[in-house]
Order: sequence, then C-alpha cells, then structure tokens
Amino acid sequence: MDMLLEALASLMTFESIITVLVGVSAGLLIGSLPGLTATMALAVLLPFTFSMEPLQGLVALGAVYMGSIYGGAFTAILINTPGTPSSIATTFDGYPMARQGRAYEALAGATIASVIGGLVGVTFLLLLAPPLARWAVAFGPSEMFWVAMLGLTLVASLSSGSLLKGMIGGCIGMLLSTVGVSPVGWETRFTFGFPAMQGGIELIVALIGLFVIPELLSMAAEGRSNITESGEFGKAKVGIRQVARHILGKPVNIIRSCLIGQVIAIIPGAGGNVTSLVAYNEAKRFSKDPQSFGKGNIDGVVASESSNNVMVAGSMIPLLTLGIPGAPPDAIILGVLLMHGLRPGLDLFTESGVLTNGFILSMGMAALMLLPVGLLGARLIHKVVIKTPYHFMVPAIAMVTILGTFALRNSLLDVGIMMIMGIAGYFLRLIGIHAAPIVLGLILGGIAEQGYVQTMLAAVVDPIPWLRLVENPLSKVLAALVVLGAATAMLPAWLERSGRLDKGSPNRGDDS
Amino acid sequence: MNFSKSTLVGAVSAIALAGIAGNVQADYPEEAISYVIPFNPGGESDITARFQEPVLEEILGVSVNVSHRPGGGGAVAWSEFQNNAEPTGYELIGVNIPHIIGQPIQRSDAGFETDNWEIITFFHSTPNALIVPANSPFDTLEDLVEYARENPQAVTLGGSGTYSANHLDMLRLEREADIDLTYIPFSGTGPLPAALEGNHVAGIFNYTMLGVQMEDRVKVLAVASEERVPALPDAPTFKEQGYDIVGGAYRGVAAPAGTPDEIITVLEDAFAEANRRITEKQEPLGFVMEYITGDEVDEIITQLREAYAPILESTE
Amino acid sequence: MILRVNTDMAAGGFGLGFAALLWLGGTDIGRLSILFPRAVLVILVAFSLLLFVKGFFRPGERSIEISGSPLRLLVLILLLLVWWFAIGKLGFVVSSFLIMLFITWFLARVEGPVSWKRLLLWTPIIAVMVGGFYSIFTQVLNVRLPSGLLF
Repeated sequence: MDMLLEALASLMTFESIITVLVGVSAGLLIGSLPGLTATMALAVLLPFTFSMEPLQGLVALGAVYMGSIYGGAFTAILINTPGTPSSIATTFDGYPMARQGRAYEALAGATIASVIGGLVGVTFLLLLAPPLARWAVAFGPSEMFWVAMLGLTLVASLSSGSLLKGMIGGCIGMLLSTVGVSPVGWETRFTFGFPAMQGGIELIVALIGLFVIPELLSMAAEGRSNITESGEFGKAKVGIRQVARHILGKPVNIIRSCLIGQVIAIIPGAGGNVTSLVAYNEAKRFSKDPQSFGKGNIDGVVASESSNNVMVAGSMIPLLTLGIPGAPPDAIILGVLLMHGLRPGLDLFTESGVLTNGFILSMGMAALMLLPVGLLGARLIHKVVIKTPYHFMVPAIAMVTILGTFALRNSLLDVGIMMIMGIAGYFLRLIGIHAAPIVLGLILGGIAEQGYVQTMLAAVVDPIPWLRLVENPLSKVLAALVVLGAATAMLPAWLERSGRLDKGSPNRGDDS
Repeated sequence: MNFSKSTLVGAVSAIALAGIAGNVQADYPEEAISYVIPFNPGGESDITARFQEPVLEEILGVSVNVSHRPGGGGAVAWSEFQNNAEPTGYELIGVNIPHIIGQPIQRSDAGFETDNWEIITFFHSTPNALIVPANSPFDTLEDLVEYARENPQAVTLGGSGTYSANHLDMLRLEREADIDLTYIPFSGTGPLPAALEGNHVAGIFNYTMLGVQMEDRVKVLAVASEERVPALPDAPTFKEQGYDIVGGAYRGVAAPAGTPDEIITVLEDAFAEANRRITEKQEPLGFVMEYITGDEVDEIITQLREAYAPILESTE
Repeated sequence: MILRVNTDMAAGGFGLGFAALLWLGGTDIGRLSILFPRAVLVILVAFSLLLFVKGFFRPGERSIEISGSPLRLLVLILLLLVWWFAIGKLGFVVSSFLIMLFITWFLARVEGPVSWKRLLLWTPIIAVMVGGFYSIFTQVLNVRLPSGLLF
C-alpha cells in the first residue's frame, strides 16, 4: 500500500501529467491513421524514452499505447476504417451510426467505454496480476487451436446474409494467412516465385484494403460522401450526458465486455484483435434486440471499445509477471523494461514496486485523460470530416492509407496488395462475401495452424495423435465451448434460412 | 550454386569503385545513414540497434536512422537490399547467422545469397542454451540425454523457428548424443517463456538471454559457448559435459557488395567503439560481445556453413 | 446500374477459383507446412461447391446493384493502380501531388464543370497536404518514402 501511495506521489508532478497528456494525444493521432498501429506508435517513441528516467519513459509508452488503441475508434466510426485492428468491431455499428448522422453519439459512446475499459484493466492489473498470470501459461498449443476455433464461430454472426458465403470468406482469410513462410517448417508457401512474397500478407495491409478501398470506390461511384448526408453534427439530438446515462444504464453489457477483454488479453498471442470481436459477438448474442446490431446500435460500439481498452493494461499481466507479451505492442514494452535492467517477474512488484505501480497507475491516468482529449479530438476530427468536400476526402484518405500501409513494413508491394485486395473486396461485397469474415480468418488462421501443427508434432509418440488436441482439461472445456458456440450461432441462422424459403424476401439490409 | 558468384561480385565492385572513387571516401560520412533491421521492433536485433544508434551518431557525426523491414524471417529485406542498395556506405542492414546461411540453402526463392555483400562486423552473439522449467525432472544434461535414449521422440524441445540457430544446434545435440528428440518450433522468442512455464514442452533450446531473464524460474542445463557466459556463471557449457556443440546466433551489420574498403574501415571502427560503450548494458542481458571483422567473418561463415549444411541438406 | 448475377454461383465460383489458384501454387511443400492449408482448401472447395449447387436450386440474390456511376468507379480503380505504379517510378511526392489533383478534379466534375480558378486554388492546398504528410512521415516517424524525381 505504501508503495502504491509513493508511486502515486511520484506521478503527481507537472512533468508526468504533461507526459501523459502529450502521450495520449500523440497516440490518438497515430492510432487514428489507418496503418499506423499501436506497435508502430511505440516503436517511434522508443528512442525518445532513452533520454528519460525509467518511470518517465514507461509512463510515456503507456499513455501512447492507451491513446493509440482508442484512436482507432475515430476512423472506424467516421470512415469505416479501423485505425488499428483492435477496433474492427467498432466499425460494425459505429459507421452505420455515422451515416445516420449520429457520429457524435458514437464517438462519445466509444470515448466513455474506452475510459471505463482502461480503468477496469488497470484495476485488474493492480489487484489480480499474480493469480491471473497463472492462467496465462495454461494456454498451450492445443488450447490455442481451440481458441482460434472459438474465434471462427464468430463467422456465423459476422456474415450478414448467407452463412455459406461467410464460411467461404473465413476460409479465404485463413488461406491468405498461409502465404509466406510457414510458422512450423519455415518453408515458403504460395509465393509464386516472388522473393518479396516471403513476407506474406500482413493482417493490417489486408484490413486497410478490405475496409477502406471499397468505401472510397463507392464514394466515387455515387459522387458524394457517405456521411455528409445528414450534415448535422448530431450533437443536437444526443448530448454526452445522455450517452453516459445510456451506457451506465446498461451495466451488464459493459461489465461483460470488460471481463471478456481481460480474459482474452491474458491469453498470449490472441491480443486485442480478437477481444473486441468476441465482446461484440456476445453483446449481440445476449441483446434483447440482436437484429439492431450492425445497423447502428450504440451497445455494439460500447462492447468493442470497452473490451479493447481493457486489453491495454490487461495484457501487461503476463508481461510484467512472466515476461510473456500478450499482444504485439507489449513486445516493445518488454524491450524497454529489459533495457532499463528491469526483469519481468514478481520482483517487479516488490523490489521495484514503486516504478511498476507508477507505470500501472499512469495507465489509469492516461485512461482518464482520454475523456477530455478524446471528446475534444472527436469534435475536431468530426468537424473536419464533415466539412471537407468529398472530392478532397477521397484522395486524402487514399493518400493516408497508402502512407500507412507503406510505413508498416517499408514495403511498396504491401501498398499494391492493399489496393488489389481492396478492389477485389468491393466486388466480393457485391456478391455477398464481406470483409469481416475474411479478416477474421486472416487473424485466426496463423493461430490455428500453429496450435494444430505443434500439437501434432508433440503427439508424434502417441498412437492416435489428434487425441492430444483434447487431452488437457482446459482444451476439453474450450472444445466444448466451440461446439456450443457453433450450435447457438448456427441455430438462428438456420431458422432464418428455412424461414426464407419463399424467395425474394427483403433481406438486404446493410450492404455497407 | 549460390556461392560461386565471387567473380560477379568482383566485377560489380570494380565498377562501383571506379564510379564513386575520389569523391566519397575522403569525407565519409557526410549525410544520414540508413540502418535497416529486417525484423520486428522489440526483438534482440532491434534492441541492439537502438543502443547503437546514439553512440554511432556521436562517433560518425551524422544521423543514423533505424527502420524496420520485417518479413520472411529477414529474407524480404535481405533480397531487397542485395538488389537495390547503393554501395555508398549510406545504406546498412542488420545480418544474422544462421539465417543468412540457412535460408538460401533451404529455399529456392530466398532472393539473396549468403555472401553477396560486405559484412562489416558481427558485433555480438547469443549462444544457445538448453533450458528446462524449475520443476523439471531433469537436473543435468545427462539426465535428459539418458531419458531420451530410453524414450525416443518423447522429449519435446521448443525453440524459435525452424532451421534457426536453436533448431540446428538441437539437431547437433541429437547427432552428438545419438538420441531422438522432438523439436517444436514457435514463432520467435516471445511465446517460449509461456511454453516453459506452462509445461507445454519438456524444455527449450533458446538463447542465453532467456535463461538470464527467467533465471529464478528455470534450470539452464547447458550453454553452447566455448566458455561459460558471464551472465550465467553457474550454467555449464556443452563442451564441459562432453558434447562438441558451440553455436548460436551472431548479429552483425552489412553494407552492399562493392562498398569501398575505406568506408568499411570507418564503419568497422565505429561499430567496435559502439560495442565497447554498450557492453555494460548488453552483457547483463546475456549477450556475448564480439569483434569479428574482415577475414574472420568469412572464417566463421565457412565454419558454420560446414557445420550446418549436412544437417540442412539431409532434411530436404 | 443493376447487373443480373446469381450471387450464390458467383461466390461459389470465386471460392473455387481461389482454391484452384493456390492449389497450383502449392506444389512441392513439406508435410508440416501443407497440412493446414490443404485442410482449409478442402473445406473451402466443399463450401464453394455447396453454394454453387445451391445457386441452381435455391438462389439468393439474383442481381447486384452498383449504385452511382460505373465509369467513375472504373476510373478510380485505374487511378489507384496508376498511383501505386507511379510511386515506384516518380517518387511519393510528385506522383501523389499529380494524382491527387487529378482525382479531385475528376470527382468535382460531378457537380458541373470545374473552372481554372478552382483548380488553381486547389493546387496549393494539395501541395501542402502532400508536403505536410511527407514531412511528418520522413521526419517524425522516420519512414523513408520512395523517392524518384525531386524528392
């Protein structure tokens, strides 16, 4: 406790507060640009932290991390483009809301949800880090395989319309994930003889292409911007207080999303990309009005954004206690810790407890700071997006996407892949294969493959190797969850399909 | 076929020398130097480059820009570098052994060759280490070898990547001890602590760094270096225990083929000096500082290629 | 524009085509590396066939609608690809400036002819945008953008 107070005191300096403020703002800016991920934001910041004190450096990194994960929501809502992969699910309802002229409501909802999520994550980290850390190492190869399978059951709810088409999208995504060097075997696959293809198809490249380019193409074809139609700021209808009241009035949604965020954050390798999707799916499943999801239900935005901000502090649990990075950006934080001679482990919480607790508390401070910075930023960005004529908007967004894609790996080939996938994505959307299942397959393909092949390798001495997949208690539980999840997800789709026997029924709601 | 390009290299360097002679060497360096890391930020290569960056800038008097070009285990950046980089001394790239040896042997489309560049120096190495969890039944290397002899393939060892330094030295252990183990590749060093703590594998073959990082939760059975590593004074080497296994990853930096010798010398000195200044920070992490330059570079590549090639080719 | 397409058969056909492409590109791969992709390929083919057959008997949507002008759609697709190609040849700054100006002009024509005056007004705006992003990326974010002419 003393340590906590001491840490708090060390944070209450003008310098620290400014660091957090600048960090959150910079993170927000980087995170809101498609292609510039939280990992990149941290990598850019890294050299600057060398000249700082260890605590100051970590505070800056934590603030940037928090800001950039949140920043992804901005573009997700305003131009249907997840700024970071962790806000994919935010687009599902956030963008329809923006098209209905409710952008501000969505942004405010995302902000409040992010603040709550951030604070919840910090609380978990402060109070429950050691016990939760044990949970992290329980996930071995076979468990990871089932986690990926569990994720794939989301295809059913993500494929608006035909389930089969969703499945095809998911398979295509998984196959795209296998391009390049195989995770086990280290051989090149599907490169068609181009050395540059050894790098494979980066998730974020596909994500940007599949989400942004179709939107730009349809704006160009229609000759107008997709969101200026209502023109209004949207503030007139719903104020920040009402949004807050609405969110807090449905505590179950936010509590569930935060818990999901925390549980998944601890599983190494799943990371924030999956948390928001799972939280969104569960919010939809348990909602009284699941049909309204995907058409502008603020609960969907809240579920996605709260869970991915829990992940920021949540994924620090395995990192700080065991040195296991739970999400890609954590690898950089691990590097910084090592550089300052700090070894992950329980010592971090005792011997250098002031530093560690200071770092954790500063993330809480960053989460709080999201509120003013975020609401102000939301207003500004929203105004810019609304006021800009569409003939500037389209080329400007295109330029930013090109820059973001290029910056990811300094690769011009990635820019080409992004564009080609985007153009293909536009036409695939027309025939009913949507971007979300493809991206989901791309995220989970690698996890599933690695888990499966590693399990099979380890089982080489067993008489029936695949039994190894359900050998541990945890993998049994997960396998059961997969079956259950698939059943409950398929059932409504099945019923809907059989109810749709009379053809020509008006089932074309959201084609965006 | 990959290693007989020396005539071509020679010709290229002659042309390059003729083209830029006279105006570069005297005042090198004059502009910013780009230093490409072919891996993701946060890894060992990146951490080292970040340490070096400010020191190099101070010594050379120009800015050094570290950027990342990950993909294909380094191959994407290396093939691009060998094809496009100008031999002016302003474009450098990080190189790793055994990656640059293994990939061209193993892949038909790696896109680069092991020696189609001027390797300036290898500045450090991370020896392999055989690490088991603290609660493992194996207390010594001998325990593990004996158990494996009685139970072929039952001992699972994790490591980073396939045909990586980890994997290759595990294969050497199999040959030396005449045992049959099962290697399970993970993507990078990141997931290995979890695999170890969660007992998903019996042990791991990874670098000494991880042994240092997890010191109080694991047992380091053997280290693949000539002498004991300063950061792990209690861990015996393979050699002490009768197995001739010395290997690991070497990290260095290369300039394009045909870069003038004067420039290479300037960079050699700069990296050596940088190495001396960051030793204090790197050694405790488990790195072994090296000063391998000039002919020694070729020697070590030839030596390791001879050690690894039969293993790599026999698995084709 | 409304096109008459059996979307089920189109989607099924696409799945089969994609599978065929990878099948051809996937020769000579070791067992451990092909295990997973092959399994997914089989599943993809199964789903695609199912959808294709379903398209015969119980088709879903039978027409697709491209809202707006197909010409503008095609031109923008072309422009994006040209942009990508041009970055490699002319460098980021020059190609982005030219293509952004062109796209702006092209899209603004929806509202009627664009006067020279407006075009002149846009030139500095676009120049500042390109220049601004260029300097942020090269100076702050340390990304080396492709250079060709001038930059």
